[in-house]
Amino acid sequence: METKEFNPFKMAQTQFDGVAKKLNLDEGSSDLLRNALREFHFSIPVRMDDGTHKVFRGFRVQHNDARGPSKGGIRFHPQETEDTVRALAMWMTWKCAVVDIPLGGGKGGVICDPHNLSMAEQEQICRGWARQMAKNVGPLNDVPAPDVMTSAQHMLWMLDEFEVIQGAKYPGFITGKPVGMGGSLGRTEATGYGLIYTVREALKEMNIDIKQTTASVQGFGNVAQFAIELYNEYGGKVVAVSCWDQNDQTSYTFKKNEGIKLAELRSVTDKFGGINKTKAEELGYEILDANMWIEQEVDILLPCAIENQVNGETIKNIKDSVKLIGEGANGPTTPEADAVIKEKGIFLIPDFLANAGGVTCSYFEQVQCNMNYYWEKKEVLEKLDTKMTHAFKAVSDLSRKRKEYMRDAAYIIAISRVAKACRDRGWV
Amino acid sequence: MTPSDKPFESIINELQDKTKELSCLYSIEECLNREDFSDDNAFNFIINTLPSGLRYSNFCEVKLIIETKVYTTPNFIETPWHYTVKLHEDDKTIGKLSVYYKKGVTGSDANPFLDEEIKLIKTVGDRISHFIHHRNLQSVFEELQSVKRGNELYHRGEWKIVLDMFRKTDPNLFASILRKLLHHLCWKEVEGADKLLALQTIELKVGDSKIPIDENKPMIRRKINTYDEYINAILNLADENIKDEQILAKIQKWVKEEKASGLVKAVESLDTSLSDISDAIRKYYHLAPEKFKLSAATVKGLRVTLLRRFFTEQLEYISIAKDYVKLTDFYHLIDNMIFPPGSHGKLGGKSAGLFLASHILRKSSEDCELLKDFKTPKTWYVASDALMHFMHFNDLEETIEQKYKDIDEVRLEYPHIIQLFKNSQFPPDLVKGLSVALDDFGDTPLIVRSSSLMEDQMGAAFSGKYKSLFLANQGPKETRLHALTDAIAEVYASTFGPDPIEYRAERGLIDFHEEMGIMIQEVVGSKIGPYFCPAFAGVAFSNNEFRWSSRIKREDGLVRIVPGLGTRAVDRLSDDYPILVALGQPNLRVNVSVNEQYRYSPRKIDVINLETNDFETIEMDDLLKKYGEEYPMVEKMISIMEGNIIRQPMGYDIDFESGEFIVTFDGLINKSNFIQKIYSIINTLQEKMKTPVDLEFAHDGTDLYLLQSRPQSYFDVNLSDPIPKDIPEDQMLFTANRYISNGRMSDITNIVYVEPQAYAEIPEKETMLRVGRAVGRLNKILPKRQFILMGPGRWGSRGDIKLGVSVTYSDINNTAMLVEIAKKKGNYIPDLSFGTHFFQDLVEASIQYLPLYPDDEGIFFNERFFDVTENIFTELLPEYKDLENIIKVIDVPSATNGNILKILLNADLDEAVGLLLPPTDSSGNGREISIYQNINSDANDYDQWKWRVGMVEKMASELDGRKYGVKGVYVFGSTKNASATAKSDIDLIVHVDKSVKMGLLENWFQGWSLCLSEMNYLRTGYKTDGLLDIYYVTDEDIENNDSYAAKITAVTDPAKKLELKKLL
Repeated sequence: METKEFNPFKMAQTQFDGVAKKLNLDEGSSDLLRNALREFHFSIPVRMDDGTHKVFRGFRVQHNDARGPSKGGIRFHPQETEDTVRALAMWMTWKCAVVDIPLGGGKGGVICDPHNLSMAEQEQICRGWARQMAKNVGPLNDVPAPDVMTSAQHMLWMLDEFEVIQGAKYPGFITGKPVGMGGSLGRTEATGYGLIYTVREALKEMNIDIKQTTASVQGFGNVAQFAIELYNEYGGKVVAVSCWDQNDQTSYTFKKNEGIKLAELRSVTDKFGGINKTKAEELGYEILDANMWIEQEVDILLPCAIENQVNGETIKNIKDSVKLIGEGANGPTTPEADAVIKEKGIFLIPDFLANAGGVTCSYFEQVQCNMNYYWEKKEVLEKLDTKMTHAFKAVSDLSRKRKEYMRDAAYIIAISRVAKACRDRGWV
Repeated sequence: MTPSDKPFESIINELQDKTKELSCLYSIEECLNREDFSDDNAFNFIINTLPSGLRYSNFCEVKLIIETKVYTTPNFIETPWHYTVKLHEDDKTIGKLSVYYKKGVTGSDANPFLDEEIKLIKTVGDRISHFIHHRNLQSVFEELQSVKRGNELYHRGEWKIVLDMFRKTDPNLFASILRKLLHHLCWKEVEGADKLLALQTIELKVGDSKIPIDENKPMIRRKINTYDEYINAILNLADENIKDEQILAKIQKWVKEEKASGLVKAVESLDTSLSDISDAIRKYYHLAPEKFKLSAATVKGLRVTLLRRFFTEQLEYISIAKDYVKLTDFYHLIDNMIFPPGSHGKLGGKSAGLFLASHILRKSSEDCELLKDFKTPKTWYVASDALMHFMHFNDLEETIEQKYKDIDEVRLEYPHIIQLFKNSQFPPDLVKGLSVALDDFGDTPLIVRSSSLMEDQMGAAFSGKYKSLFLANQGPKETRLHALTDAIAEVYASTFGPDPIEYRAERGLIDFHEEMGIMIQEVVGSKIGPYFCPAFAGVAFSNNEFRWSSRIKREDGLVRIVPGLGTRAVDRLSDDYPILVALGQPNLRVNVSVNEQYRYSPRKIDVINLETNDFETIEMDDLLKKYGEEYPMVEKMISIMEGNIIRQPMGYDIDFESGEFIVTFDGLINKSNFIQKIYSIINTLQEKMKTPVDLEFAHDGTDLYLLQSRPQSYFDVNLSDPIPKDIPEDQMLFTANRYISNGRMSDITNIVYVEPQAYAEIPEKETMLRVGRAVGRLNKILPKRQFILMGPGRWGSRGDIKLGVSVTYSDINNTAMLVEIAKKKGNYIPDLSFGTHFFQDLVEASIQYLPLYPDDEGIFFNERFFDVTENIFTELLPEYKDLENIIKVIDVPSATNGNILKILLNADLDEAVGLLLPPTDSSGNGREISIYQNINSDANDYDQWKWRVGMVEKMASELDGRKYGVKGVYVFGSTKNASATAKSDIDLIVHVDKSVKMGLLENWFQGWSLCLSEMNYLRTGYKTDGLLDIYYVTDEDIENNDSYAAKITAVTDPAKKLELKKLL
C-alpha cells in the first residue's frame, strides 16, 4: 500500500529519470544524481520553558555540491519526512544550475510545529541545529536560508551560534538576513524583475516590441508588483490583475483597459497584495470574477499567485491573442494545461527559470557577505539582469535547437550542467 | 441689578469672599478630624480660624461656650454688634458660639452681619454640636470597650455608671436599653419584672404619680412615683438577679443593635424606597463609620440585605459578596445613584458583577502585589425601575405587551419604538439626577450600558443583546444632557427589540418582568488627535475554549486584546482579528510566522471622534501615521516590520510617517507584567467566585481599568455539555478525550467525511487538490452550520497536502465543526494542526474544532457507520464522481430514520461524544431529560460529591474488617462518578465473609448512615432516612458475578475499592 501513496521524492526521481534518459546519462551519473550526496540526521535536545526536555529531529540533505556549496532552506514542519526534504534538495540543485550560479542543492529542517513553541524554544532549536551541523555547513560548503515557518530571525540565531563556534564572522554562512545585518539590497525586487528580464528576452526572440504588448497578471503580491513595475518601465501595458480578497474569501480581477496604474493601485493595497475593492472601483477599475484574468485579450499572461492556477479547466478560456506565459509563481501550470500550451504553441518560461531571480539574489547576498562589501541596489539589479538573460538564452537556445518544450529544456540544461561538473571532477 | 450688570470688581470681591469662607470651613473641618488634637486644642483653633471667613476679620472676636468651659479669642471684648448661635445636643442646649465686631463696621448700629456670614457661623455652630455629640458617643463606647477589656477588674455595680452616662448623653438610647433590660428580666422570670413591664412604656409614666400598684406585692418596696424611682426599681432588680458581667455584655450588645437599628429597619422593610435606604446609610455612615463595630451577625445581615436591595436576589452572588463588601462601600455607591421617588429598583447584573469583582480584588491585593494598581471607571447608576417610571411618565406602558407579539411584528415595529422612546420626555427627577451626574463627569466621553436584571436569571446570556452606546459628551451642558437622555431612551427601547425578545422566548423568560438598570460610565482613555480611546482594551477568560496548541491547557485562560475601545475584542469580528494570548502560556502564540503575524494583526481601531461626536472605526495605519506620537504606550503595542523580520521598537526608532507597523502587543506581552497581572486577577476572581469568570478591561496608557466581570458561564457557549454514560454503541459515532473545548453545537444533519485511508492512497497531487475543491463546493451547497467536516490529519495543509486536505478558509467557512482524525500510520500518530492554518478565522466565526484519536485506548470510532451508510456525494457533485470513494457525504436523518447528529462537548471532563439521536424537541421529550442528567455543571454539586467521597473514605478507614468480617468496601454510582447532588445516596458494596456478624455490622453502618444523613441535612436542607445504600455480597456472589458483585469487576464504570482500617 505504501507504494500507492504520493511520494514527492519518487516524483522528483521519475522526472529526473525522464531527462536522464533523454541525455543518455551513464548509469553512474544517473545513480549519483538520483540520490543525495550526503544526508545528516540528528537530534536536538531542548530545555523547554516549563523545564522539561524535548528532543527534536533535525535533517540536512546535501543533494549535490559538484558546482559549488549546497544552497537551500531550513524548514520547521511538524510532519517533515526525509523524502520531502530529499526531493526539495534535488530541486534546489537544478534551480541553481539552470541560472548557472556556482551553487549546489540542499535542504534541511526540523520536525516541529512552531505553533507549539515559544520564541525562546525556537531559538534553542535554531542554535541546536547550528551546533549539530557546524562542521558540515558554512559559506564554503553549505549555505542555509529561510523556508517554511522560518524567518530572518531564525537565520540570525543560527548565524550567531555558528560564528560563536567558529570564533569569527561568517556572514556568508546563511542568506535571507535583513539589510544591515548582511542582507542584500534588491532582494524584494529580485523575483519580479527577474521574471520580466526573461520576458523581455523572450519577446526579443519572438520579434515582438515589448512596448506594443499587453499583459494580464494573476496576483498582486511582491512578485507581481515588481514585475508590473519593470514591465511598465519597458513600456508594456498591464490591463488586468487579480488578487485574493480576504473579506469576501474569494479572488477578483481588476481591469482597466487603458492600463492599470501601479502607483494608484498600490495605494489601495494591503501588504498581502489584497486590493481594496471599493476604493479600486472609485479609481475606475472594473471588478470581475476571479478567473477573468486568464480570459483577457492580451499578449502575455503572468501567473504570479499560487500553484495550479492554469489548469485543465481555466486553460480552455485562454484567448488566441496570448503568445507568452511567464510563470512567476511556483508550479502555476498543471500537466493537463501544459499539453494545451504546447499544442497552441504558446511560448512558456518555466517557473524555475522565470522566478530564479530570488535564488540568484541570495547568491549575490552570499558573495557580498564573503567579501564583506555590499553593492548598491542598482549594481545588484544589473548583475541580476546579466545572470537571468544568460540563463534564459541558454534554455531558449536549447529549446529551439532540440525542439524541446521550454520546461523540458530547462531541466535538460540544469541536469546536464550538474552531470558535467560531476564528471569533470572525476566522480563518475 | 442682574449679575451681568455688576461691575467686574464687585464680582471679583464676591468671589474672593466666597474663597475665604470656604477655606475657613475647610480648616475647621480638618481640625475637627485631627485625632491628635484634644478638644481644647480643637475649639481654640476654631475660634481663631472663624474670623478669617468673615469680611472684616481684623475687627472680629469670637467666644465659644461649651457647657462650663469658655473659649475666647485673645483680645475678646463684648460689643453690641454680635451674632450668636446655640449649640445643641439631642435638643438640649449645651453652649453657644458668638461672634462680635469690635466696632460698627458698617458705620451704623444695624446688624453688621451679612447673610453669608450668618450662614457660615451657623454652619460652624452645627458642626461643633455634631462634633461634641459624636465625641460623647464615642467616649461612651470607649468606656464600654475598656469595661469589656477589663472585665475581671470590674467593680460590682459599675455598669450602673455606664448606664448613667447614657442617661445623660443619650436619653433615647438609655430608654431603649432600659426597656431591653426589663424584657430581659422578664425573660429570666425575675419576680416583679412583669409588674414593672405592666407599667407599659416608661415614657408615658414619667412624673405620673397615680400608677396603679398592687400594694400586696412586697417585692416593690416603695411606691414608684417618679421616673427615677421606676428606673431605680429596674436597676435594683437587675442588680439583684443578674451577674454584673452578664448585664454589661448585654448592655454592650444592645448599644450596638440600637446604633444600627435605623439602618436595619430601613433595609429590612420591603416598603422602604431606595431614597429611604440611602438616607439610612448616610446616617449610619455619619454616626458610625467603620470603627464603630457592630456584631458580626448584624453586619452580615445588613450586608446581605443591602446586596439584595441594591443588586440581586441571586443567592450564589450574595453568599460570595457578603464576605467582601463593607457597609461603607454602599455609602459610596448611593452617592452615584439616580432613582425615581419611591424607587424599589436595583442596579442590575453588570453593576453587581463589577462591584463584587473590584471588592474581591481590593481585599485580595493585601497578599498579592499584582492585584494592586487597578482602577474602575467612574460610574453612575440608574435604578432599574426608572424604566417603568419613564414609561409611565410618557404613557408608554402598552409597549410592554410588545413581547407577546409575533417576532416579525416586533422586528417591524422596533424602529418605531426607538423613535417613540427617543421623543419621550424624561421625568424631571431623573433629569435632575442625570444633570448632577454630568456635572460630576465633566466632558469626558461616556458609555451608557444596560445592566439587566435578567442577566441574573438562570445564567441566561444576555450579553450583547441589549445596547451599549458611546457618547462623546462634548459641547454645552444642555447638548450633553440631551445626548445622554437620548442614549438612555435608546437603551430602554432595546428592551423591546426583536433579538432580546426572541432570545427570551426561546428560554422561557418571556413572562419575566424585565427591568433594566443603566450604568453611565466614563470611557477610559485619552485624547489622540481628534479621537478619544483607551490605548488598548480587551476581554479575558478563565477558561480557554480556543486552544491552538496541545501544550495550552484550558486553565491557561485566554485574553483577546485590541487597540482602542474594547468593542472589537468583545465581539467576534468579521473583518479583523484581535491578538489572542493564552494567559498561562503567553509565549505560545497563535501566529508564528511573519506572514501569519501580519495577516492576523488588528488593522482597525474603534474610537470616539470628539469633533463629530461619533463612534467610529478607523484604520490603525492612518491613526499611527498622523498621531502616532500622541498614542500612549504605542511602543508596547506595535512592532516594526522590516522586510522579513518583525521586531519591537527600540528607543526613538519609530518613524510613524514612513515606517511599517503592525499591532502585535509584543512589548506588552514580553516586556511588562501585564499578562501576569490579568492572569492573577482572573485567577483570583475564579477562586473567590468559585466559577470561571470573564473580565473586560481597558488601559489608558497609565492605569488598568476593570470594566466588567461576570461568570464565564453567562455565555452559554462556554458551558460544558453533560456527557451521558452507557449509550448503546449503535447510537454513537465517536468519542474523544483529548483537547476538548466547550462549545454549543447545533443539530447536525450532514457529515462530510474524507476517508483517511483512501486519501492517503491518492497517488497524484492533482487528485488531492480536487478533493480540496470538492470540499469547497460542498461547503457552499450544504446547510450552513448544520454539517461537519471530518478528515485526516491537518485541514488546510499547503505544501505537503497529503498530510491533510488542501483547503482555504473560504472552503470550510460554513461548517459547524472541523474534525481532524489522527489515525495511526505504521507506528506513529500524526500531529494535528489544531486549525492553525486558519485558527483565528475559526475563532471569529465560532467554528468548533475537534481532534479525534480513534486508535487511543477507550476511544470509540464507528468506522462501520461510515462504511455502510449511503453516500450522497455523487448526487450532490456529479462532476466529482471519481472521488466518491474518498469523500463521503452522509445525510444523517435519512440514513438513521430521522435522527440527527449531536455532538456534546465537555471541557471540564475533557470528553466529547457524537451521538445519533432524535432531534431536540423544544418541549423537551423524556428521552432528552433522562439522558442529559446534569453532571458536574454546578459548583455546588461538585462540593456534594467531594464531601461524600471524603466521608465514605473516612468511614471505611474506621471499619475494623477483622472484627466485623468485612473483606472489602466499594463505592459506586454517583459518589464515585462525581455526579452526586445534595439528594444523592451513597451507594456501597460491602464484601463480607461467611463469619460475618450481620447484626453488628448492620448496626455499625446504620449509625453512620443516620449521622451522614443528619450532616447532609445540615449542609443542604435535604432530609433522608439514612444516606447509605448498602449492598452486601459474598465470595460466592463474586464468583458467580451475581448482581452487584458484577460491579466490582466490571469493565466499564467499576466500583472503587476503599481502604479499610489499617490493622497492626
